[in-house]
Amino acid sequence: MISTEQNGVALRLSGVTKIYGSHTAVNDLSLEVPSGSIYGFIGPNGSGKTTTLRMILRIVLPDRGTVEVLGVRDTRSANDSIGYLPEERGLYRKMTVSRVLAYHAALKGMESRSARESVAFWLHRMGLEKWADHKVEALSKGMAQKIQFIAAVVAKPKLLILDEPFSGLDPVNLDVLREAILEMGRNGATILFSTHDMEMAEKMCDFIFMIHKGCKVLDGTLSTIQSQHGADLVRLKIEGGAAALQGLEGIQIVRDHGQLQELRCSTDPQELLRRLSARGKVQLFEVAKPSLHDIFVNIAAPDKGGNDA
Amino acid sequence: MRKVWRVAWTEYQNSVRSKAFIIGVLALPLMIGVSIGLQVIAKRQTDVSDRRFVVLDRTGVLYKRIEARAKERNSIFKQSGTNSAPRPDFIPEKFAETDGVKAEMILSERVRKKEVSAFLIIGKDALMPQNGPDASLAYHTQAQTFNELPDWLSQVVNEEVHRMRYERAGIDPALLQKLGQPVPVRRLGLAKMDTSGNVVEAREESRLTAMLIPMGSMFLLYMLIMSAAPALLNTVLEEKMQKISEVLIASVAPFELMLGKLLGCVMVSMTLGLLYLGSSIYMLSRHGMLDKVPAEFFAWFILFQILGLLMYGSVFSAIGAACSELKDAQNLMMPVMIMIMIPFFVWLPIAESPQSPFARWISLFPPATPMLMMMRIAIAPGPPAWEIALGLALTLAFTLGCVWAGGKIFRIGILSQGQSPTIGRLARWVFSK
Repeated sequence: MISTEQNGVALRLSGVTKIYGSHTAVNDLSLEVPSGSIYGFIGPNGSGKTTTLRMILRIVLPDRGTVEVLGVRDTRSANDSIGYLPEERGLYRKMTVSRVLAYHAALKGMESRSARESVAFWLHRMGLEKWADHKVEALSKGMAQKIQFIAAVVAKPKLLILDEPFSGLDPVNLDVLREAILEMGRNGATILFSTHDMEMAEKMCDFIFMIHKGCKVLDGTLSTIQSQHGADLVRLKIEGGAAALQGLEGIQIVRDHGQLQELRCSTDPQELLRRLSARGKVQLFEVAKPSLHDIFVNIAAPDKGGNDA
Repeated sequence: MRKVWRVAWTEYQNSVRSKAFIIGVLALPLMIGVSIGLQVIAKRQTDVSDRRFVVLDRTGVLYKRIEARAKERNSIFKQSGTNSAPRPDFIPEKFAETDGVKAEMILSERVRKKEVSAFLIIGKDALMPQNGPDASLAYHTQAQTFNELPDWLSQVVNEEVHRMRYERAGIDPALLQKLGQPVPVRRLGLAKMDTSGNVVEAREESRLTAMLIPMGSMFLLYMLIMSAAPALLNTVLEEKMQKISEVLIASVAPFELMLGKLLGCVMVSMTLGLLYLGSSIYMLSRHGMLDKVPAEFFAWFILFQILGLLMYGSVFSAIGAACSELKDAQNLMMPVMIMIMIPFFVWLPIAESPQSPFARWISLFPPATPMLMMMRIAIAPGPPAWEIALGLALTLAFTLGCVWAGGKIFRIGILSQGQSPTIGRLARWVFSK
């Protein structure tokens, strides 16, 4: 039986390492996911995200370290309380929607009556109740993706792991799915989801975790990460544009938008403003927090040795 | 175990609800029906055009007898009506010899021109007792595959030659025929004693019946295994190709998943077995042959069916899990199919001598045991108990080994992508931690 999560931690990875041949997919990774939180999992392709998620589910076993899920360490016994939507997903095309969902619920140990009720609830919630008795092969791609999501949540999981849940969805279905995820979170489920959509991660997640080349490079709330990785970002508009910045010491232009420049400075922003004022009329000067996108790119850009996928 | 059962039940329902299962159920009777039907049609399509042939009779006395016998034969077939398949008429023609070598050339030319279908040269010494130096019957034709005419000629000429030899020796052929009547051989089983101590006489046995039951049981077992086990490869491969596997193994341990699939496969095969075995029992009972089947036969049949399914099912599911493409799976299936086919290469000598050392050892080879031991059990008195027990133990051990190795391959293979599996890689997976 699954005990209640110890110390309010739904998931704890301690020094987890996974090696495939000569390639270290995940290297000495430690992580604590508080119960009831929404944890965003970001990282470039091939950075070890899917391997980490698979280790949490014990689909693959770590070579070193421990994985504790919902208070249970190093066994699959918590898996019935975990909903999982993998990145590459499919359904039995020849089965009806209700049978597929009932099957997934049963595999999570759900009683058939509760499963029927839960299937009916979620089909109604997603506006798919009319499709219950249709074969999966008759569904559109968007509908199939929603059914796959229902398959992950039908057994009322305490921990929901979603690997790229929004990929390939149109804006309408994306909103439906996002709202459903947030509702699961409001109802107390812990949600761990990986995404390449930084804006979505910023908006939805309580915590963000980034893995790069198998190692943890970011972990914390968005504001903590922003304060740790780039309180030095300055947005400015100056007469003469980027040319007016030529020869200034202690700055690095991050992005030149033509009329607006984003730069990083290693000196005091007030000192920078004073030096800029001497060069021309400063129309805008803002010390900004960097977006998650900027932080991600800064860490994972190829010239920084990132994104090897 | 509840999850294993759930997987099994879903697999079973998916199978028996499919069109493929219904086709599978009908396949055997349909194949038998089509095969019989085609044979009947083919018989009726026999070429019944007249077969003209020339006889060069160097004895000078046999031709008339051949001609008379041909007329007799043709009229018999005409009278027999529609009960037997129509046969061609044999129409002989006498050839007057002028020159030996030249006659062969002339007649060969006539065959080539299709004027006649064959010619027969009867040596001049054919009537001499113990055959003279030129006592041969030379049958010439282009149609070497048509046997009815040469067989008939051989029989008729020899009968007439014997008759004439007897006449010349002053022996009455009719009397000789009476005296030469063969003593009929009856094929019987063994006498036994009933519970009251009375001797129960042995009963007549038909060789056809004696062969039909063992042969039928082996073929039926093969069909029941092959109708369900290879389907596992397809379902596992399909789940892998359609990206269903990962979600499944997040809920069920890979070994449980494989076990559930195996159990589902056994249930599908047992359903088919119930239908076919039930029909077979009905047919045997209707033709009064049910008592020729040993009482324990059906229990053995079901046991070997389950073992065969688990053995081959685990191998097929492991192959399905290891491959990412159907082409790779087909390559790996080849050696397994050869193993499965072993009973078909050796069944005839085993059916004729079920207690021979060869029959004994080959039926103890686990991949072949279910079908061959089953066949030996179906041939009375059956193999000794120790052989059945040893066969069962070896097969059980081998099956457990297959399930264990299959489970290991399944666990690793189900998530592997892109790599074409080799036997060496599969072996490494089996022994990996």
